[in-house]
Amino acid sequence: MSASLRLFSWCCFYLLTGMLAVPHACAEWRILPESIELGGPRESQRLLMISGNAELSTGQLGEVTFRSSDPGIVRIEGNRVLPVQDGNATITAHDAEQPEQVLAKATVRVTGTAGPGEISFVRDVQPVLSKLGCNSGACHGALAGKGGFRLSLLGYDPKLDHFTLTREARGRRIDLGDVGRSLLLTKPLGLVPHKGGVRFDQDSEACRILSQWILQGAVEPRDGEPRVTRLEVLPHAVRLRPGTGHDLLVLAHDSAGGVRDVTRWTKFSATHEPIATVDDGGRLTVVGPGEGAIVAWYDSKIILARVSSAYPYEVPPDLYAQAPRVNFIDELVLRQLENLRLRPSPRASDEVLVRRAFLDTIGTLPTAEETRAFVDETSPEKWDRLVEHLLERPEFVDYWAYRWSDVLLVNGRVLRPDAVRAYYQWIREQVATNVPWDELARRVVLARGSSHEQGATNFYAIHQTPEDMSENISQAFLGLSIGCAKCHNHPLEKWTNNQYYAMANLFARVRAKGWGGDPRNGDGLRVLYVEETGDLIQPSLGKPQRPAPLDAPPLDIEAAGDRREALADWLTAVDNPYFSRAIANRVWKNFLGIGLVEDVDDLRLSNPASNEPLLTALSEFLVAEKYNLKSLMREILRSETYRRDSQPLAENREDTRYYSRYYPRRLSAEVLHDAFCQVTRIPSKFTQTENVDGSTSATSFYPEGTRAIQLYDSAVVSSFLQVFGRNERAITCECERSNEPTVVQVLQISNGEIVNQKLREPDSCVSQHLKNGDTLEQVIEQAFLTALSRQPSSSERERLLDELREPFAQALASSESEASLEQRRILLEDLYWSILSSREFLFQH
Amino acid sequence: MLRLTGQGVAHTCDGVTRRDFLEVGSLGAIGLSLTEMLAAEQAFAATEAGKSADKRSCIMIFNLGAPSQLDTFDMKPDAPAEVRGPFKPISTRSSEIQISEILPRHAEVADKFSLVRSCYHTAAAVHDAGWQMMQTGRQFTGGINYPHAGAVLSYLKGRRSDLPPFVVLPQLMGRGGGNLPNGQAGGFLGKAHDPFSLMADPSQPDFKVPNLLPPSEIGEARLDRRKRLRTIVDETVAQFEASDDARLLNENFQAAYRLMTSPQARSAFDLSLEPNHVRERYGMTRFGQCCLLARRLIEAGVRFVTINTFLTVFDEITWDIHGSKPFTSIAGMKDIVAPLYDRGYAALIEDLDQRGMLEETLVCNLAEFGRTPKVNPAGGRDHWPQCFTVYFAGGGVQGGRVIGRSDAIGAVPAERPAPPSDVVGTIFHSLGLDPKIELPGPGKRPFPLIEFGAAPIRELF
Repeated sequence: MSASLRLFSWCCFYLLTGMLAVPHACAEWRILPESIELGGPRESQRLLMISGNAELSTGQLGEVTFRSSDPGIVRIEGNRVLPVQDGNATITAHDAEQPEQVLAKATVRVTGTAGPGEISFVRDVQPVLSKLGCNSGACHGALAGKGGFRLSLLGYDPKLDHFTLTREARGRRIDLGDVGRSLLLTKPLGLVPHKGGVRFDQDSEACRILSQWILQGAVEPRDGEPRVTRLEVLPHAVRLRPGTGHDLLVLAHDSAGGVRDVTRWTKFSATHEPIATVDDGGRLTVVGPGEGAIVAWYDSKIILARVSSAYPYEVPPDLYAQAPRVNFIDELVLRQLENLRLRPSPRASDEVLVRRAFLDTIGTLPTAEETRAFVDETSPEKWDRLVEHLLERPEFVDYWAYRWSDVLLVNGRVLRPDAVRAYYQWIREQVATNVPWDELARRVVLARGSSHEQGATNFYAIHQTPEDMSENISQAFLGLSIGCAKCHNHPLEKWTNNQYYAMANLFARVRAKGWGGDPRNGDGLRVLYVEETGDLIQPSLGKPQRPAPLDAPPLDIEAAGDRREALADWLTAVDNPYFSRAIANRVWKNFLGIGLVEDVDDLRLSNPASNEPLLTALSEFLVAEKYNLKSLMREILRSETYRRDSQPLAENREDTRYYSRYYPRRLSAEVLHDAFCQVTRIPSKFTQTENVDGSTSATSFYPEGTRAIQLYDSAVVSSFLQVFGRNERAITCECERSNEPTVVQVLQISNGEIVNQKLREPDSCVSQHLKNGDTLEQVIEQAFLTALSRQPSSSERERLLDELREPFAQALASSESEASLEQRRILLEDLYWSILSSREFLFQH
Repeated sequence: MLRLTGQGVAHTCDGVTRRDFLEVGSLGAIGLSLTEMLAAEQAFAATEAGKSADKRSCIMIFNLGAPSQLDTFDMKPDAPAEVRGPFKPISTRSSEIQISEILPRHAEVADKFSLVRSCYHTAAAVHDAGWQMMQTGRQFTGGINYPHAGAVLSYLKGRRSDLPPFVVLPQLMGRGGGNLPNGQAGGFLGKAHDPFSLMADPSQPDFKVPNLLPPSEIGEARLDRRKRLRTIVDETVAQFEASDDARLLNENFQAAYRLMTSPQARSAFDLSLEPNHVRERYGMTRFGQCCLLARRLIEAGVRFVTINTFLTVFDEITWDIHGSKPFTSIAGMKDIVAPLYDRGYAALIEDLDQRGMLEETLVCNLAEFGRTPKVNPAGGRDHWPQCFTVYFAGGGVQGGRVIGRSDAIGAVPAERPAPPSDVVGTIFHSLGLDPKIELPGPGKRPFPLIEFGAAPIRELF
């Protein structure tokens, strides 16, 4: 079949299946890159022939011939263009079987061919070592090296690596006199034993570059050499059917304005392997439907190419246009669902929604009366009214104070009791007065004064070194883990060791007087202040970095004053993309169950959102609303997206991250605990708090009736909360909270005290029913309403009655009143237990 | 080879994932019988490479307090009196091994175990640091909690009977004084892989597993009714079948019901089924009966049992022989600690051997460190992580040998130094797990089973 015929049939396929958004796209054949720069005799550029443009490709044409308009300027080798002499030329692409037809054109500009073509250690040699894995953590990049040979991890220290290669091991690694005897070649070639195996052969480009470099005298890294400033990937995104492949190109832009094709030396990885995989050469293969990305890494820089592939469902195209929508959230979610051909689930019932909104917004079950009132109300504004009501409930403060206490690590195993209380009360006060999130962050960053009066200073009592302060500020407010960069450049991110120490140096002058940090002793009273001088030494350099917030310009290292102010400004600046995205994602996850980025504490560039435009829109909304979190919550709650049913449809069953339906999840430890108490009507007592050494102390902070979401910290003794995975608040990470169901949890529900004991109490719901002399029907209805926020279905009612009616009647008829009561009590306890152990109760849905 | 993704799905060579089987298993809630579920699990087991290794189990005996190498397994009879201590070495069933006279029963089974006399670690000499390193192979830094070796096995292989895959006897370690996590948990693998902790003393006459059985007022009839009622209530929520966690929860209900109602599980925990003379042979002590219970649990399908010889170093007499109050001295070790330990261990090894279970059960005896070469003025010895002895039996280990050597006073390894990562690597090796398998750490950062550069002590096998 000729290429044009093939093109035709492709286009038809796409049009028929609606996979291309723009019908004329089949005419848009392009060569990538469209304009090519070759800046030296050793440069070359690989070419791609794609359908679409640099932004989005919907297919790649494999069998294509490229021609040069002037072979005296550039020549073609397969799909690669190489320089001959300085000048301009045009490349044309032709169908292999219809060579006369020009499918597309690209321009080339060649410069610098007269230059020496010197191999540069940084530009040429190190990328080879990185690509081949020589300097990876598993090989010579390990802290201890391998086989006595150590390289800096992924080449973050070129000068040291050059020294190691040319001077260490008595110079045997490089043999300038007899290049072929250099260990740098003989080892990876397998000519002498190499535990890392054979890495390349003699005809490889890698071998050529390394031997050329030695031949030219193993030139050391020069100061002032152009450095890579950014990467570009072509195309930026692909939309393909499962089973199809596509090549990617990676271009490096350097500080001298040059551009090079670095595809061959780029390391590729896939963010979601069930969606797309990628091979060593940058060819991706779509494996399944969904949206994922390919990460390209070169010289500690990272760029993503997005990959999307529609689900194989039959969904009428006009369904998306007709789907109900309230706000921008719905628009953007529907757009993604349309891209991926997922059918949105319909709106859930009022009963489901009232329970969902209560639990997500205030961590509390609605009472039977609250449920009834909402369900019976007929006003079209009833949902909006419920949302407003919830945002103003007192439990809103309890719930969100406890959520933010997770993020800020209020923990009695680390802090003394009075400090715990001050810290918690400070957080609570911020929630109660709805302090904007940027202001809250500023107050934490700039905290100073007494730990008993200025609760926020306890952040610095928990994190006492500049490194810890810096890492935890990043984690809490930016969702970024920068810890890797403490020892070496971050392997997954763009953060470098220098940036890490520049950031940490912002905290070098933070000091405190008073309590030193022994969690077992003292009053916990600590006064935080900021010194006028002092710097943090970067161990690898033996001197401090100029203080700077991550990628912001550095401050004057000599300037006096609180450097944290610069950090607070940068952190909360409207153009800081991390800050608003991190909090928008945290709030979103609270309501939808799955973060747009998962995990919420892992917001690195190489971990893209499942709906990037939505996360951007949410964070921009938050900025426009001046970081009023209630505005964001209101917007989320009001959306149709939030109100979708959790029942999967045939056309969205596979979806776990694009919000075509609501995803059920187990209630968090504290909320579940409180729900048990609310339904059984028996609160728990919190009288002990655990110390760091495992011993316990009495606490009088919590009066009778205190709910778990009102506890200040994670050290309060409660085997239930522990077994159900509360956040232990040892590190800043939502991942410390575990909502995974375990066997021990089930045993606790089945046989332990939490349910059985509470149901037996003289004031429990069961006792109340017995006192009231309620009928079985009444008990069933009340139990369903309080625990599941709905009426039992008629079949449930019938089947439960079938089980219980006869023994209940027998018990009633019993002549012995005590035995009769006990018999009925047992039946009601079993009924309640069955509801309180059901997944509908244990789960948010 | 086994490969892992961040989602914790184990892919086998033929592309079948563990989750595929879990999904099959979870159908049990809506129709599949227990037998069919077990069959699905067995099908999974059959796809694993190295089926024989899949049969392997491990009993880890953790000697809280840290025994003195010089008074137990690494005697230095030629050293000065203040080093060699009061005890004499005795010959054993192995010509290569001499051990302390306070462990006569060990001498009778010395052809079954091999000593590693050159174990060491470089962390602080506090109990908790050693606990975490010796049980996980790593020192906890940067707030990352590594998983116990048993949790790793649970994560990679799952359950193989009605019983949980990983059990701790008699309960989780208590305080160590260093305020550090003790490593006896699922760590970053999640609570789903925490050990099942017995929380009871099996030597007590009224011994039972808490929460394993319903409260006494909930008899079989009520249990059945509860199950029927719950089925009615729970059946309506079909939408949960699309949620992994909901499926896992129902799995756990199944598992809990299995535990509660399984005659196999119930009998595994029921020590009264053992003849009296067998119980006596292990010794009617907490440690002795834990050893016996461990054997029963392994027989019933548990993959990994950790026995804490003591619960904490503070409230009881342990291996922690500082000499000063409230700790015991070298003499106290001889009178109180050694006899119960010696008896329980030897009985366990003999019993496993006689039942033909030893080849498939690795028994490793670990501790957080050793003790100072010189006896202190209080007549005790203090903490010494620079050199100590651990030992292994069964699970493919050739017994009766000594690997590694300490110097003349037992102060530092003189030959084949073995850090904690090598010790834990040895456990994985015996269990047939490739140390290069990667586990998904916090932030999906991959961690190989043992640190780069670490290696199993292959000389043992």
